[in-house]
Amino acid sequence: MLVFAISDKGGTGRSVTGTNIVYRHALQGNDVCYLDFDFGSPTAGAIFSVSAVARGTPENGLHEYLRGECPQPRRVDVWAESDREGLRTRPPGAGRLVLLPGSEGGGELSALTDEIVGRCVQLFGRLEEEFDLCMIDVSAGRSFTAELVLAATVRMPAVPFRWLVFHRWTRQHIIAADGLVAGADGLLDVGSRFGHDREDLRDRIRFVRTAVLEPDAAELVGLRDEQRAWLSACDSELRELAGRHGVGRTAMLGKIPLDPVLQWREQLITDEDVLASKIANAETAAAFDELAKKIVDDSAWEGL
Amino acid sequence: MLVIGEVHTGLLQNSGEISESTCRQVLGLMAGESVRVSRRPIVHALSPERLTGVDCALPAASRSRIRGVGTVVSRCAVTGGRVAQGSSYVRVVRSETDRRLPWSHYLSRPGVVEVLGKAKAADLAEGFTGDPAPGCLDLGAVSGRFLDLVQASPLLDRRAPFKIPRTSLRWVAETGEPSIRFTLHTEQERTLRLTHPGPFTPAVVDLCEDLATHDWLLTSLLVIVERARIGATPGAQAVARLAPAIDHLMHLWMPAARVEEWLTPFWESLERRPGFTRQWRSLVDRVRDQVAMNTLALLSATAEAGRR
Ligand SMILES: Nc1ncnc2c1ncn2[C@@H]1O[C@H](COP(=O)(O)OP(=O)(O)OP(=O)(O)O)[C@@H](O)[C@H]1O
Ligand SMILES: [Mg+2]
Repeated sequence: MLVFAISDKGGTGRSVTGTNIVYRHALQGNDVCYLDFDFGSPTAGAIFSVSAVARGTPENGLHEYLRGECPQPRRVDVWAESDREGLRTRPPGAGRLVLLPGSEGGGELSALTDEIVGRCVQLFGRLEEEFDLCMIDVSAGRSFTAELVLAATVRMPAVPFRWLVFHRWTRQHIIAADGLVAGADGLLDVGSRFGHDREDLRDRIRFVRTAVLEPDAAELVGLRDEQRAWLSACDSELRELAGRHGVGRTAMLGKIPLDPVLQWREQLITDEDVLASKIANAETAAAFDELAKKIVDDSAWEGL
Repeated sequence: MLVIGEVHTGLLQNSGEISESTCRQVLGLMAGESVRVSRRPIVHALSPERLTGVDCALPAASRSRIRGVGTVVSRCAVTGGRVAQGSSYVRVVRSETDRRLPWSHYLSRPGVVEVLGKAKAADLAEGFTGDPAPGCLDLGAVSGRFLDLVQASPLLDRRAPFKIPRTSLRWVAETGEPSIRFTLHTEQERTLRLTHPGPFTPAVVDLCEDLATHDWLLTSLLVIVERARIGATPGAQAVARLAPAIDHLMHLWMPAARVEEWLTPFWESLERRPGFTRQWRSLVDRVRDQVAMNTLALLSATAEAGRR
């Protein structure tokens, strides 16, 4: 299964959420890989705490591979190469956790050629043979990268794929997420131009809300009644807005609560962060865990 | 001088095994030429051969620049309707001249790469089985693409029963006092050094492909048994995880089935050490024991329930 992670805006939480989902999926016993297609700022290495590729790899990154400058992109075994103690041993029963870093100083794709699409098809085809889940961070907004993966998936009709659109729980983000999917030159437009069936593609897209502060969250206990009432009203207004924009509950795969650790640092939330050092919230880890299951649960992906 | 080759092996991307006639279609990459199929003791289908022209540096352990010009022979195979391969090799020979000749010259000698200038066989052999410098002749890239061709066939449903990595076997064959050395490198990379009596024939390639198939089978069964976590998970769960091996791999073990008589001593030597079949048998026994124990547990649970 290929899963493409996209958001309309930058800084949405796409990378942090995507990496945490693949991490949880690996803990659930699956072989997973994460492809950093955010060529402008390939920072997935930092989230996995692999300092050698914190800002991409100096050699054999995905960008070079797609440009035909190296035969195969570099693979980083996170269980072996992470600098974080808690990640450096593969827990019993966990699957492989592999990162394909972007190229250091790579820069965005500036054009889409047939060769690049061909290499992308080759890469996806091979990874799909050996990994249960391949998550591809497609970067933010409308880009050549998004076009590239839309073009590549048309050429491999039998390979299953899905899209996750990340957005924050605000007015602007809800409208933007809808626009990215259904607006002019959005995923559906570009996808159908490349040969995808519009409705079929729509069924493969779900939304994920990031850094959500629920009105009844523990963080809000100290608030005055007036503040709480105001937040509650905002929340229902947003829910109504989301429903109108097709970003509502039915199209939502899950939401990740605002977490103090993630607010301060882009990282994986391990069980140790929750249970031993107690710096992260158990709800956050549980939300990642649930999303990691839902991503492959067909009942969560039935036609809308 | 020497022959170098690389075989990539993987699980055919289809939910079930494919029939002989589907094998023929999948492998019929070139119109007009037919797929060779042998049926006993296991169905083995081999595509027509294709040539790729090359003019590039050859990998040398000394890192000296050695230029080679000629053609690579490649082909694909499907064994038991389940295991797919892309395989390439070249015979490296010294050129009569120091300059490049017209392509017609190289095309008339398919599968031969001529070395322009000086080169030592040992240097090339070490370079190829060691860590080839980037930009050199990359037979793995060619074989990988041929395997991709098979896997991307529209006749396959791409719903393979389990995920498993490909393996690559890089081999070097020379004429001389018989010897064979099989080495495991990373989880997916292997090398083979073979010295055989008499001149090279394509039967050597068959041997290497046969070894690659069995090494992949063994590697994959090991992975599946490891994933099952026997002893650490409830029996029924472990057995469920072992099921794909029973359904799709365990009947495919046919060592040396397609190996010519004069080359079988090489297989026999590998059977003594490292002992492919010994390890395979012990794994297969382990899988069967798990299934038997789980069946017994189920039976006694049912009987217990019946008595109550
Ligand atoms: N659930 C969360 N709670 C609190 N903070 C979060 C949460 N998820 C993400 N963040 C924070 O939001 C910021 C942006 O996250 P991230 O880098 O994942 O976004 P992105 O969409 O990948 O951005 P870019 O487009 O720049 O790549 C980071 O500082 C991250 O730690
Ligand atoms: Mg990011």
